[in-house]
Amino acid sequence: MADAALNAIPRQENRFLKALRSPLTVIGLVLVAIHLFLALFAPLIAPYSISAIFTDGLTPPAPEHWLGTDQIGRDYLSRLMSGGRVALLVSGLGVILAILAGTLLGMVAGYVSGWLDDAIMRLTDALMSIPELLLIAILVLTFGKDLWALTIIVAIVYTPGVIRVVRAKTLTIAALDYVRAAELRGEASWFILGREIAPNLAGLLAVELAIRISSAVLKISALSFLGLGISQPTPDWGLMVQEAMSVVFTDPWFLVLPAIALSSLIIGINFTVDGLARAYGISSLETG
Amino acid sequence: MAHVSVQNLSVVFKSNGRDVAAVEDVSFTLQRGDTLGIVGESGSGKSTVARALMGFARPGARFAKGAVQVGEADVLGLQGDALRSFRGGRAAMVPQNPLSSLTPHMTVGAQLVELIGLHAGKTGKAAKERALSLMAETNLPEPKTLFDRYPHEISGGQRQRVVIASALVARPELIVLDEPTTALDKSVEARVLDLVRGVQADLGATLIYVSHDLNVIAKMCARVMVMRAARVVEEGATRQIFQAPKAAYTRDLVQAIPHLNAHQPATPEIGSVPVLTAESIDFRYGKPGLFRKSGPLALNRLSLKLYAGQTLGVVGESGSGKSTLASLIAGALSGYKGQITLDDGTPLAGVAKTRSKTARRRVQMVFQDPLSSLNPAHSVEEIITRPLRLYFGKTPSAAREAAVELLGEMDLGPEFLHRKPRQLSGGQQQRIALARALAAEPDVLLCDEITSALDVTIQAQVLRLLHRLQDTHGLACLFITHDLAVVSQVAHRLMVLEKGEIRDFGDTAAVLAAPKSPYTQGLLAAYRSQERGAATEAPQHDLEPVG
Repeated sequence: MADAALNAIPRQENRFLKALRSPLTVIGLVLVAIHLFLALFAPLIAPYSISAIFTDGLTPPAPEHWLGTDQIGRDYLSRLMSGGRVALLVSGLGVILAILAGTLLGMVAGYVSGWLDDAIMRLTDALMSIPELLLIAILVLTFGKDLWALTIIVAIVYTPGVIRVVRAKTLTIAALDYVRAAELRGEASWFILGREIAPNLAGLLAVELAIRISSAVLKISALSFLGLGISQPTPDWGLMVQEAMSVVFTDPWFLVLPAIALSSLIIGINFTVDGLARAYGISSLETG
Repeated sequence: MAHVSVQNLSVVFKSNGRDVAAVEDVSFTLQRGDTLGIVGESGSGKSTVARALMGFARPGARFAKGAVQVGEADVLGLQGDALRSFRGGRAAMVPQNPLSSLTPHMTVGAQLVELIGLHAGKTGKAAKERALSLMAETNLPEPKTLFDRYPHEISGGQRQRVVIASALVARPELIVLDEPTTALDKSVEARVLDLVRGVQADLGATLIYVSHDLNVIAKMCARVMVMRAARVVEEGATRQIFQAPKAAYTRDLVQAIPHLNAHQPATPEIGSVPVLTAESIDFRYGKPGLFRKSGPLALNRLSLKLYAGQTLGVVGESGSGKSTLASLIAGALSGYKGQITLDDGTPLAGVAKTRSKTARRRVQMVFQDPLSSLNPAHSVEEIITRPLRLYFGKTPSAAREAAVELLGEMDLGPEFLHRKPRQLSGGQQQRIALARALAAEPDVLLCDEITSALDVTIQAQVLRLLHRLQDTHGLACLFITHDLAVVSQVAHRLMVLEKGEIRDFGDTAAVLAAPKSPYTQGLLAAYRSQERGAATEAPQHDLEPVG
């Protein structure tokens, strides 16, 4: 039973400002903003080109190269600033594709049911039963590892999860009377999916998008570390960590800096999602 | 000394940095064994008062001012263990939804035993015996069988009895009931209410009963407190509140209570041809499969005729098949035996999608829960213009004009076009749902419990509106409800269903005056006993205060 006080509050107002009251959300938003800014503008604000060679090999921090130069003699700060771009681009595009495909298939499975539902869900189960890194490795060996191939691979790996979440939510929505009303009006299935159900998935999908991008960035970095993902000469944090392994005892910042960059992005996204999801009343159960 | 004393209680919510009062300056005192009903519409703060008596404020709310005292305990000052032993020990609460207050993965018996261990210090065999005796005390059938059942395996009425049994574990001095019967059928409700009264008398406990249903309050309580918008409007003896209410709001509230036979609508002339005819409908849920038979008959040889300008009321308890009937006519279900036809001979068979556009347009349905029947992502404009565009191919601007006209018919202004369902009150939502149905210019309107989710005053408004709409549009209405009083006000003819079969049928006045079947007689008796409580006497208090 809602109380008068609750009814008196216009519900639409300023959930975003409410989210900002939590310090963790603010930290998250600031981190995400910094990373997005760097991803977009790193080439313009970096002191040097990422491929220009200045020295013969590793050099310590110096006034002209604040973080020194890497094994090949390239400016480390410039490469660090650009190290998230490709991973973010690949993850972002891949997850957007996964969300589009997963939403369509998940809604169809949840609403249409019958053999189509069975077919989609068994395929989903089959994909999800393969360990993710193994699946990625197989796909990389099949498709190669140029940017487009990696994007498609991210999409394939993340689609099944989206299908499951969307199907579950669709089942809940399909049981509501407004869907019944649309059916009784004789609306076509595409109308019910697109106009009655899809708009009510928006909050859920926004959370899905963010969470899965953060997970995908981490996976791409792991792949690069293993030599299956982004490769030289493109700068990438996972790759930089891998290169730093040989000098970890003499020049530890080569390992620590890209690791910090990567984890600050992941933490930033997760804090932001948590805060916004709470403010918008999207329960974490739904995003399983 | 007063047993329960509430002094200047204020509870506030923090909302966008401002304090909003949920309860403001409420005071009352009760002696041991008194019964107080707190009545009000949703949002009046009545549940917040009930929770405060247990020392509980919902998350985001806090006690701003005032004191609550039960016995010697200063409830708002209790902390930690003292508060926990107070709740469930000296004071017990029975909430509205029994399913959400029972743990789904534990058997009913295990939950009772756990509570007995906590509050009565008994374990093992003694605890089980106590649990069984509590279950017997609350009239649960076959306690030994139910002991091992899970909450989802028992009926709603039984669940509420289990919750009441768990509230009695420590023989509390104060029992607070928050709408404990709202989700139950009328006859089940009557039995639960009898049980609560008996238990209260046995324990000599002080009883506080929160409800939006004045009839129930009248039956249960000697005193009534009326709340509105966080404040107390009026407080007094039940008889005085019902017979000589002082505040204008209380008068409105009392007048809005639907009474049996209050103003029966005059039967309009019946056209010679019914708009819709249903002939000997048989329906079962579930198709028979290789290893299972289909379900029992949900509808059994059911026939009815709907005439323009007339309302056929269908009354029955849950499971009587009344909603199934509406679903078949509307085309939400298919696969019945028999015939349903419109006056132009169009058969209404199969699901809506397989029917002609005209057939779909001519039969419209309004649902019980107004919020779930309106898409939260759509504006009122989108909701109302959709049928206009679908059935009549209107352009967006023409549809908008028609929608404004429809809103006007619902006593709503054009500013509502841009609202979303969540920004509307329950009554407004239901009027939007009606507007959407009328946009199709239907001949048959199916109303499935359309007022049962609304407060009494709002219910009265919606019923008046429905009446007016029926007159202006010549609608043939099928009005489904479990509430005899409501149906007696709107229905020209009445059909009583039990287990998918017609028990009584005829002019509403005739059926209510002289019901033929024992089933209808039972329904009426349950109703009359409640009304009598409201109209004449407050409950007697022939018990001696204990302790």
